[in-house]
Amino acid sequence: MSNLLKKALKLSLLPAILMIAGKFFGLFVLIAFYSIQFSVGNEISGIFSTQIFLPTSETTLFVNSLSDLAMISILGISTIYMILQTTLLQSTKNNPRTIAKVVKFNMLKWITSKTSTFLQIFIWTTFVVISSIITITNSLQGDTYLWVGISAGVISLLCIWGLIKTFEIETEKIYPSSSKHSYF
Amino acid sequence: MITKNNQSKVRSFSGKILEPLALGLLALLFIIPALTVMNLKPLTKDTKDFSNVLGVTTNSQIIVDLIGGTHEILSVEKIYKDGESGYRYGTLLAQRDSDFYSKPILQITNNTNEEKILTFLGSTLHPTQSKIGLIINDQAYGLQDSTGQSELVEILLKPRVAYDIYLTVENTVDIQFSEEFEMKIGIK
Repeated sequence: MSNLLKKALKLSLLPAILMIAGKFFGLFVLIAFYSIQFSVGNEISGIFSTQIFLPTSETTLFVNSLSDLAMISILGISTIYMILQTTLLQSTKNNPRTIAKVVKFNMLKWITSKTSTFLQIFIWTTFVVISSIITITNSLQGDTYLWVGISAGVISLLCIWGLIKTFEIETEKIYPSSSKHSYF
Repeated sequence: MITKNNQSKVRSFSGKILEPLALGLLALLFIIPALTVMNLKPLTKDTKDFSNVLGVTTNSQIIVDLIGGTHEILSVEKIYKDGESGYRYGTLLAQRDSDFYSKPILQITNNTNEEKILTFLGSTLHPTQSKIGLIINDQAYGLQDSTGQSELVEILLKPRVAYDIYLTVENTVDIQFSEEFEMKIGIK
């Protein structure tokens, strides 16, 4: 079995767990905090046989929106953190000004303590995109607030942009830009 | 003795088998959370209309509650709403020796301030030589005799009272196959 596949499996576990946990805890924390009456049903509809029932459509919209936001925030913030870590690390390597700023703000340890790989960022971004698609679909169906759907879309686009930047950084390691390196 | 060449062959062969499985597992790691999150989307349903939830049904403050639990011949118990004021109870009677069996199946509570009449009509899908009945408030009622004839049972449910309903099965010969039993419950 290839090392890439082993690593991909290992790296996918945490975001998969966080995606479910974000939605689940978002849902039940809200239900507990606002003391919302709920019930779990087992009517067979489609491929799912378990549903969470809430008493009014306003409550359903509110709980679903905020639990979607909790899920996308957990995944999005973690992914953006990893992207920033990687891009800042690369920037400090190329630009002495950045390293001076990093030292000034006492962030050197934060950047050098652990570096995220492209594969890790790719997997996390995929989870962000999947979560965004679910949230945007819910938003279009009127099951989630519109602003939550828009926020999910923005977070998703930011992560994709960060992923492309990370890809550029990684490729630059292999094929350095001719403008930066002179061999003559 | 296993040579180094053989070891590498085994490793390469196991890698070829494991790789598609690992790819499938990786795909599942993306699909399962997505499906779970979609399933966790709450739905709106008025609590008064919770009719099919975990075996508990309510109608005009008459609560029909499935007792559940395990029993040597009764399994796969279910209750669901049937029409406006009726319910349907179903169970699977396993193959059994000639004996008398009983199990508490339902608890019916009248939360209203008026008397209600409950009707029970139940039978197995195929006639067997079993006598099937109910015990309600220490009183025995016959639902189906050994020839397969069904009989309607009617009881009076007093206000603010809960009754445990027992299902009884009696057979004089061994029954070598499982059979489905279904009972209609009406509330008037």
